[in-house]
Amino acid sequence: MRFTRFVRRIVLLAALPMLLLGIPAAVSASAATTSSTGTGWIRLAHLSPNTPEVDVYLYSFGDSSAQIVLHHVGYGAVAPYEQVPAGEYTVAMRAAGAVATSTPVLSSSVWVVAGHAYTVAGLGPESGLRLQVLDDKLSTPPGKALVRIVQASLRQHVVSVSFGGHVLDGSLKFASVSPYQAVSAATATLNVTGSGEDAHASVPLAAGTVHTLVVLDGPKGLMIDDLLDAAGSGTAPAGAASTGFGGMAPHAPASPLPWLSVMGAGLVLAMLGGRRLRRLSAARS
Amino acid sequence: MLAGRTTAALVLAAGVAVAVAGGAGLMLTRHPETVQATALQAFPAPTGPIAAVPRHGTTKVAKPIALLIPAIGVSTSLIHLGLTSSGALQVPPSTAVAGWYTGSPRPGATGSAVIAGHIDSHAGPGIFFRLPQLKPGDRIYVRRADGTLAVFKVTAVQTYAKDKFPTAAVYGPAPDPELRLITCGGVFDHSLKSYLSNTIVYATEVG
Repeated sequence: MRFTRFVRRIVLLAALPMLLLGIPAAVSASAATTSSTGTGWIRLAHLSPNTPEVDVYLYSFGDSSAQIVLHHVGYGAVAPYEQVPAGEYTVAMRAAGAVATSTPVLSSSVWVVAGHAYTVAGLGPESGLRLQVLDDKLSTPPGKALVRIVQASLRQHVVSVSFGGHVLDGSLKFASVSPYQAVSAATATLNVTGSGEDAHASVPLAAGTVHTLVVLDGPKGLMIDDLLDAAGSGTAPAGAASTGFGGMAPHAPASPLPWLSVMGAGLVLAMLGGRRLRRLSAARS
Repeated sequence: MLAGRTTAALVLAAGVAVAVAGGAGLMLTRHPETVQATALQAFPAPTGPIAAVPRHGTTKVAKPIALLIPAIGVSTSLIHLGLTSSGALQVPPSTAVAGWYTGSPRPGATGSAVIAGHIDSHAGPGIFFRLPQLKPGDRIYVRRADGTLAVFKVTAVQTYAKDKFPTAAVYGPAPDPELRLITCGGVFDHSLKSYLSNTIVYATEVG
């Protein structure tokens, strides 16, 4: 019967909002994004005392055009960190002014992992020059500073290094690198003592900072270069930040139950009316 | 017979009307209340001397005094934030101003400088209401006490549940000058009177 079909359609239409409203409620839960930026850091250094100035090239592995070129890098120079996409790189050293296509004096590959930092340093005497990849730390124990020493003095083959009276390394050989050590945050005197020379400097080692102290041959004896590898908050606040009062937040939706009962009652009523109509029509025909 | 038919038709019509009214009621009450935000007032990039990135990061830079984010119309002075008695990050007492955490590096010095601001007050938008709209590449400017600008570019915008706050990524050491902007996000829990997530903008200094 056309009329009954019409009634069924109306009942269906009335039920539709219920279905439609149920779906978005179920899928509204949102997840936090977890994508990573996928970059790391690299810095280049020349720490070989008797090696003349060099040009340093950084290539993304397999790419013949250099991503970074540093010209006339002399002993003691440490370039700032460069942020680079994670992946494999080649560091090449050529004599200063040598053409970019010439065979490098030295090259080394570095694998940059996202979120990690590396120092690629030319170390050793010119006769035994090597490129060493150092892993630079990007975390400290709470309230502490991290410090490591690069011994790049050729004149003083072995040095002793102490910070505020505390011996960091009693006999660090030329061209070697000490592991990082955690020290209590302080501004104190750093003492470097060789067999015939010594140097001292006041070095601030703040909590949450990571340092590389480079021992160098200076024009007038030993020198200390304090490199700040990384810095963070001295004290990390506990937990999350309470940065909102909710004035712009959507208000919690009211319970759908009362309206659902109204809808249900309406549907029952319509069904009863419809059935009665159908019966009456059937009785008539 | 005819009266019966009319009654039945009336019952049917009334039933349909009630069901439709119920559906409409459901629809109206379930629709979340939308709060009108002020129109976005983007502005051109600020100008001023841009200090060179310090060579080894040990060079001192001046304290931050203002934060400017042209893409989302943020222009605010910066107050100083410390820690609460329970060791949490202090938040600005006003929702109209952002604050720099004095325990973090200064913006433009080596490391992650931390700036926090409210997403809203009890009544309307706060200074960082549009923070989640920032996109990678957008510029953020910090004006410092000596008049210099530190310029940062957004690298990521992420939202974390508060019990999964990325402490190391926000407060841990970084090897270059970076910026972390913090505000609230996610669902507001009306019983806790607190948002359940934090939105964090990661930015790195433009060399």
